[in-house]
Amino acid sequence: MTPTDEHAPASGTPVRRKEDARLLTGRGRFVSDLALPRMRHVAFVRSPVAHGRITGVDTAGALEVEGVSAVFTGEHPAIAPVALRAQSGLPGYVETDQPPLARGKVRFAGEAVAAVVADDRYLAEDGAEAVVVDYEPLTPTVCAWAEPEHPVHEEAPDNVLLSRTFRAGDVDAALDGAAVVVDRELTTNRHGGNPIECRAGVARYEAADRKLTFWSGTQVPWIVRTQLAELLDLPEGNIRVIAPDVGGGFGVKAVLYPEDVALCLMAMAMPGTPLKWVEDRVEHLLAATHARDHRYVLRAGFAADGELLAVKADVWCNTGAYSVYPWTAGIEPLMAGGLLTGPYKLTDYECTVRGVATNTSPSGPYRGVARPSTVFAMEALMDSGARALGLDPIALRRRNLILPADIPYKMPSRLVDDSGAYEACLDKAVATFDLDRWRAEQSRRRTEGGRPIGIGVGVYNELTGLGRAASAGPRMAFRTGHDACTVRINPDGAVTVFSGVTSQGQGLETTMAQVVADALGVDYGDVEVRYGDTDESLWGFGAFSSRQAVISGGAAHLAGEHVRGRALALAAALKEAPVEDLDLRGGEVYMAGQEKPIISLAEVARVAYLQSDRLPEGFEPGLEGTKFYDPIRGAFAAGAQIAALEFDPATGEIGILDWVCVEDAGRIVHPVIVDGQIAGSIAQGIGGAMYEHLVYDEDGNLSTGTLLDYLMPTAGEIPELRIGHVSTPGKNPTGVRGVGEGGTLAPNAVVAGALADALGVEVDDLPVTPARVWELVNP
Amino acid sequence: MKCPPFSYHRATSVDDAVAALAAAGGEGKILAGGQSLVPVLALRLARPDVIVDVDRVPGLDGLELRDGVLHAGALVRHLALAGQALHPLAAEAARWIGHTAIRSRGTLAGSLAHADPAAELPAVLRACDGAVHVAGPSGTRRIGADDLFVGALQSALEDTEMITGVELPVPDAWGFAEFARRHGDFAVVSVAAARFGDRLRVVVGGVAGVPHLVDAGDLATVDGEISEDRVAILAAAAADDVDPADDLHGSARYRRALTEQMTARALEQLTTTVREPA
Repeated sequence: MTPTDEHAPASGTPVRRKEDARLLTGRGRFVSDLALPRMRHVAFVRSPVAHGRITGVDTAGALEVEGVSAVFTGEHPAIAPVALRAQSGLPGYVETDQPPLARGKVRFAGEAVAAVVADDRYLAEDGAEAVVVDYEPLTPTVCAWAEPEHPVHEEAPDNVLLSRTFRAGDVDAALDGAAVVVDRELTTNRHGGNPIECRAGVARYEAADRKLTFWSGTQVPWIVRTQLAELLDLPEGNIRVIAPDVGGGFGVKAVLYPEDVALCLMAMAMPGTPLKWVEDRVEHLLAATHARDHRYVLRAGFAADGELLAVKADVWCNTGAYSVYPWTAGIEPLMAGGLLTGPYKLTDYECTVRGVATNTSPSGPYRGVARPSTVFAMEALMDSGARALGLDPIALRRRNLILPADIPYKMPSRLVDDSGAYEACLDKAVATFDLDRWRAEQSRRRTEGGRPIGIGVGVYNELTGLGRAASAGPRMAFRTGHDACTVRINPDGAVTVFSGVTSQGQGLETTMAQVVADALGVDYGDVEVRYGDTDESLWGFGAFSSRQAVISGGAAHLAGEHVRGRALALAAALKEAPVEDLDLRGGEVYMAGQEKPIISLAEVARVAYLQSDRLPEGFEPGLEGTKFYDPIRGAFAAGAQIAALEFDPATGEIGILDWVCVEDAGRIVHPVIVDGQIAGSIAQGIGGAMYEHLVYDEDGNLSTGTLLDYLMPTAGEIPELRIGHVSTPGKNPTGVRGVGEGGTLAPNAVVAGALADALGVEVDDLPVTPARVWELVNP
Repeated sequence: MKCPPFSYHRATSVDDAVAALAAAGGEGKILAGGQSLVPVLALRLARPDVIVDVDRVPGLDGLELRDGVLHAGALVRHLALAGQALHPLAAEAARWIGHTAIRSRGTLAGSLAHADPAAELPAVLRACDGAVHVAGPSGTRRIGADDLFVGALQSALEDTEMITGVELPVPDAWGFAEFARRHGDFAVVSVAAARFGDRLRVVVGGVAGVPHLVDAGDLATVDGEISEDRVAILAAAAADDVDPADDLHGSARYRRALTEQMTARALEQLTTTVREPA
């Protein structure tokens, strides 16, 4: 064996995941596992009314409940001065306050009105039941496209918190010149991330040194630290945020919640007493962020040959009762308007988006942010256009895709697409799927009988790894384009990485170790990764926008290269060899032309830390380096999904017969993790397309308050997914493109498209349930 | 989602359980497999003073066929019911209950006492015109299936009574069909069909407060083969006979259509499952 074979790169191979030893054997360390001396437990009193003035809160009964030590309300002096206020520099954006505990009025059913501290959660819930709150009801607004009677916030009498029009070219003229014009009015179903682990936090305040430690199942510990410092008026260095093992996030945990802030404020009011809040599923469905409650009124014009000439769109996004902190009410509408046209070329575009407040749980980031809805909208236009023109829907899509020759392509929203791999993804998906075979089976059933089959297609772009020029979030006070990574070679030659990533199960610990092992030239097994603790690592914005592999991965690579350079320089000086002839592989330093290593990294490290007498002149002790990385723009990731579904017109039953997805993940670091991300996100997309629906009644009560009524797909509902890849490396140090969200983007379009293809009925409202299929077939 | 305070009594016998229920003065609740009670407690929708745990009471898990009737103990698990061959309709229906973890804990009597109109076993009990044996402070009694279910989640059991055993007559032919949103969910609509001699009993779950026994009049009398036409007519009659409500998972119209489809499926199965004469 040559040394090269012996030390093959860790990247590109399915190395064993570092986190699995604990996660798969039940030894994960989650917030709910944390037990601290003197710790007490918190239960929130939540509003049963969607909209109303608080006319009285009586906590006396709760304080008499055994084991209850404190009750906080919005008027408590520790709570009252603080409000979460999501800020944006966008013109016309209406800023509003969100109190940690409701003050004056409640704006959605489930809003926290008071908090009870007790010896355990059972007693805290006993206490919560004994808190008496009086409400004077106000008329709630549930639907974002209905006239409000009583506005949610006085600052926005029409409930519109944000509105923006994207405009390019002359859309009306283009529509006038179109051979066909198609109109669609679509709504997408409110649903949410629903990670296995709901929200959780433990807050501990030490009054003597004014230090706050907040263990939180957050995806964004550094953002949480910055925001807490501002809200709690503490020096940022006095706050330590720790995200230990986290059981899923999907965006729901990329938010700083009023409950989080309340927990920290209460801990500060009870110094030395750690306070724990572990959210249960009922609370989660009621009060964690929802998403995707949108309406699209669309008009598109096509030329006779299928060229897309114009898209005009009016979009309403239900932002719920509060502008989600710190992302603002802009998170969904701006993504919807910016990405609606997806992978298709278009010059004439006009899209007005609105974020509208209602008396429902706030909307926030959820895997795919708005694009599962926009891809559904855009692909519905493509399918309608194809039907109107009598063209093949796939051919129509091909006619309009952004191609490699068009790159970089400036979308009508002015975002710059650097991918162009859409046709490659679509071609491979169609070939893998074997479209001809399924079309033949479709006609066979049409003539010989059997459940009708439909074929649905979705092509999409995933905006990943956004740098400072295209940063996630609407003109907020921070730009999320960069992360840091520190690579430290320990005195024994093993490596500890302090990464800015957070992980909610997606294997970042492994991915970062692979990147560093290869950049540095050590074995994967010799790299340990620390993350999620603001006192350990320098900086990371966290997990959202499919950004960490690109950005934190870039920082890890650069830090690894940097430290490799330092180690080789020291080795060269120690061995009196020219540094350009040296190579570091598998933790050994090799000289060009020699088979045996000349010195080990462990010995170099020993000199660097322990044997300063051997340190050559000009070398400082230690062997460590920190690098930031910002891709400036981002890495668009292309994807295409195609599936065959069968429908039983008699019962509406939907069967998924085959589902193919091809994505461009650029250069793949860990093939199994990448496929897992794609499969998991398709499963969540299928959940949104066919099962998951948070339904409010007219009074603003959530009708789907438990998992008995809020249906999530299980392994039994998700088909065997066939996943393929094309690879066009991204322009970043590791060549990756993000894959965290893409899978969620197509299933709405695929399922709706398949239904139309099978039965000739256009579905305008999601989800596509058996009942809806039956109603469409039996109007 | 933490249960309210209660006191706990682990019963050692039926008499002990009944005494504990009596002592609780109507504020006691029986815990067996816990698959219905525990979520209800966690949501604080029930607030019993005393939980009487009968899960370890000996002698309540028997399965015995006598004179064409399956006599099952109260604590027979869904998994055991699904795995036995003495009563194929009960076995088939039990396989539709939840998931393995639920089936290995949940009990026959627990499901019947909980009286969920969309659950599988109440529909089977009614289709088979079975009965439950009940012990209470004033002795034992037998409640027939048609009298047991009073309304949604309401049975004819007194607060101080417990089911000790279940009689399930074995039909000459049977069929079971269910439409659920996901594998293991409660039925949107389920149909249990059983033929005893020339009498056909068709019960629809999920369309009313109780498992609905279809009144098919003369159609319910059959002799020998049930033709395809007869299946269609019976299915249409069942759809006519139910009066479902709209809910999150479908309109009344849709549930009526499902009733027709599931009845047809159950009856088609019934025509293929004729029991050999003993």
